[in-house]
Amino acid sequence: MTTETAPADRIELPGGEMLTWSDLPEKRLADGGPLAALAARIAPPGSRVLLAGPHDPALLDRLAHAEVTCLLRSYPDAVALADRTARVLVGGPAGLPDGELFDVVVAGAGLAAVESVEGARLGWDGVLARLAGALRPGGALLLRVDNPLGLGRLVDTTPWYARRDDAAWTISGVLDAGHPANRAQLDDRLAAAGLEPAACFAAYPDAGATVLVDAGALERRTTSGLLDAVLHGACAGRDPRESVLQDPARLAVDALYAGQAAALAPGWLALARRAPAGVTGTPEDLPVALVQTGPPGAEVVEIVDGPQGWRWRVTASADRGGSPTAPFASRELAYRDLAALDGQPVPPGRLLRTLLLDAAVRRDLDALRGLLRGYADWLAGQADADDRLADAAALAGADNLVVADGRYALLDASWRATEPIARDVVLARGLWRFAAALLTGGYAHPWPSTLDVAGLTVVLGGLAGHDLDRATVSAAVETEAAVTAAVRGLDAEGRVTLATELRAVEPTDPPAGPRSYQQLHEAWLRQREELSRLAALQKWTDELLTSRERALRRAEATINLLSGSLSYRVGRLAVTPARLAKRGARAAKRRARDVLAPKKEQP
Amino acid sequence: MHHANHFYGHAHVLARYAGLGEGHPPRINGYVQHGWNIGDGLAPGHPYADRTPSLLWSEQTRRRAWSVGRRNVVVIGAPFVYLLAMRPQDPPESEREGTIWYPFHGWEGQHVRGDHKELIARIRDTEPGPVTVCLYWHEYGMRKVRRLYENAGFRVICHGYRGHWWKDTDPHFLDKQLTELRRHKRVASNRLTSAIFYGIAAGCEPAVYGDPMVLANEDPTFGGTARVRRQWPELHGESVDLPTAVALARAELGTDHRCTPAELRELLGWANRQEGRVDH
Repeated sequence: MTTETAPADRIELPGGEMLTWSDLPEKRLADGGPLAALAARIAPPGSRVLLAGPHDPALLDRLAHAEVTCLLRSYPDAVALADRTARVLVGGPAGLPDGELFDVVVAGAGLAAVESVEGARLGWDGVLARLAGALRPGGALLLRVDNPLGLGRLVDTTPWYARRDDAAWTISGVLDAGHPANRAQLDDRLAAAGLEPAACFAAYPDAGATVLVDAGALERRTTSGLLDAVLHGACAGRDPRESVLQDPARLAVDALYAGQAAALAPGWLALARRAPAGVTGTPEDLPVALVQTGPPGAEVVEIVDGPQGWRWRVTASADRGGSPTAPFASRELAYRDLAALDGQPVPPGRLLRTLLLDAAVRRDLDALRGLLRGYADWLAGQADADDRLADAAALAGADNLVVADGRYALLDASWRATEPIARDVVLARGLWRFAAALLTGGYAHPWPSTLDVAGLTVVLGGLAGHDLDRATVSAAVETEAAVTAAVRGLDAEGRVTLATELRAVEPTDPPAGPRSYQQLHEAWLRQREELSRLAALQKWTDELLTSRERALRRAEATINLLSGSLSYRVGRLAVTPARLAKRGARAAKRRARDVLAPKKEQP
Repeated sequence: MHHANHFYGHAHVLARYAGLGEGHPPRINGYVQHGWNIGDGLAPGHPYADRTPSLLWSEQTRRRAWSVGRRNVVVIGAPFVYLLAMRPQDPPESEREGTIWYPFHGWEGQHVRGDHKELIARIRDTEPGPVTVCLYWHEYGMRKVRRLYENAGFRVICHGYRGHWWKDTDPHFLDKQLTELRRHKRVASNRLTSAIFYGIAAGCEPAVYGDPMVLANEDPTFGGTARVRRQWPELHGESVDLPTAVALARAELGTDHRCTPAELRELLGWANRQEGRVDH
């Protein structure tokens, strides 16, 4: 093997490079996402780190405190990254110099992406052995493994075995026995490579994970409101132009409740140490979850375990701004203040949205009434003297409140309103959001199909013990548009478009977000049901009209008959003079009044 | 609107509660259950448009209606519950006296088979105080039947005409019934009917005894009188456990499901009305 130094003197070409190929992800997360935050936490200052395979360039910035070597198969990628790193090796795994050891090896794109099309294939175990061999004793490997039966595959419209993209020169699926297909198999493979599994994070919603959650926590805390909200939030943020078989957010939360959210995760991020372990940190330092959801550029926040339970932790990088982005200057209705979150306890309990959905599909009005009253009472407890809500409470809805033993608490208090909002508008907004999700999501519920979203919002308000009017609901929809625009970082035009869309939401629409075959089918069924209902109503109304017309004809015939009778004629003769006299008296009275009344001035 | 919605002035009570005043109630987008029912809440034999909402009294009736193929079934509670909410003040106990007795009637098209005389003897033997007999309008109109009860020394009344095809509905039928119920300590009948549940809700002690006077052509689909006795044995007898009766009446009338006025306007299709007011 010859080593050639490329024009950029940090690039080494040990052979096996792909000259016209690029792996760098098109969609990038701010600051490299949760993976970068985790890698930065694992790599001690001054440590030697190997990034094997393609990674978001932002990860290199997060690892500025370490000495980083990149192993890339793509030459263009190497050129792009050369000025951010100490050294770039361009080639397959065989390009790693023998005997060179690292403190940390990160394979955040999986092992397949380490292999080049050039040269002999090592296979999954082969690449793992090569990387494990590059770890010094006690060193840490952070490895991504895609789940062949993961949620991503379950909702994908394209079957895994039919991929046609350029990277599919070989497809490794569940049938490939040389590839671990579940967490137990992964642990076995790691052990066989001389590595001790130290932690495993479930990666949601896909390979570019915006959420990493400790697999053990997912298996133990199956009704956790936080995990519910986090998984739902991660899976609900998909591109609306995408198509899926079914709603991944629903599936993720169902998997959580079934204790399978780790088993069905789209991928896993495993942390393993080369024996002897325990040199570069212990699993106790690791967070329970790393979360990056919200607008583009949102920071990663962590949830850490402690003697008092889970707490929020805002990483140094996330808190780099020091203060929230001038909310008052931006005139947006909502802003995020992460400093307010740092160190705060994560309240235990179940997510209000899930409790409400459960009660709705069970058609349990008593449970719904109890939950909604609790929500309305909680809002009332937060209101000021003018019956307005400020800060985080002003944005509190079913997807951000947890309920434990009848007590309500705000899950994530970092999103705040810039100005106080009237309490009934806050309530109506929370209820409207739930109503829209319930109806467009096709959930069963105990109300008639004749209700529109605003109507159901008023009905939910009634269950909560508050008579809302439709004007309040309209104000709530405008507020919803303004808040969502701020959370998603939309401009003024985007906000107007969003408001128009929200106002037009109908119960027979599919939900917002990606086109889900299951939900499109359900929306079609709802439309068909409504058409059947209206057709039946039309038929019934027609029949009723016919019967009423017949009754009217009968009545007219009776009137005609009676008007022709002798008694009617006699009666009429007797009454006519009296009627004429009355008419004459009225006319005289009118004339007298006209004469006596003061003349109106001409305008 | 289905004419059955007007029976007993139900639509009028709901319109008053919903804040629409005393006038002619607007069309309801659905069918309001017009009597306590061991079936799907709708009166058998009436034509209904498929999938039009059924606005039912109780959760149990909703489940039953769903199980027999009804859809768009919604629990709103009985109109009587709305009337109670508008007239919440029970009179002092000292103003209550005797029993109001409802001989089972059936409706116009049904013919009751049974012996009024036997029933009168049983009432006399059982009731401790003065008895008011409330006859259904068509029995009230039958002088022979009315006389039977009058001659027994009972006060005989009628709450009014429930109406038919929107005609002659007494909009204050339920109001009159509530007023009468509140005058009495006890409410009794030979069958478990709406009146017994209304009576319990209006503060009376209930009793169900005597010949149930089976209808000549009673519809056996939902089990008839025998099933009523099997399912609600606690409410049958000359004297029943009051707390149990109160809890059962609460469930059967759907007292806890009473909607707020705005909620009711939405569920009845009165929030976005297309029709103009029809006052007559």
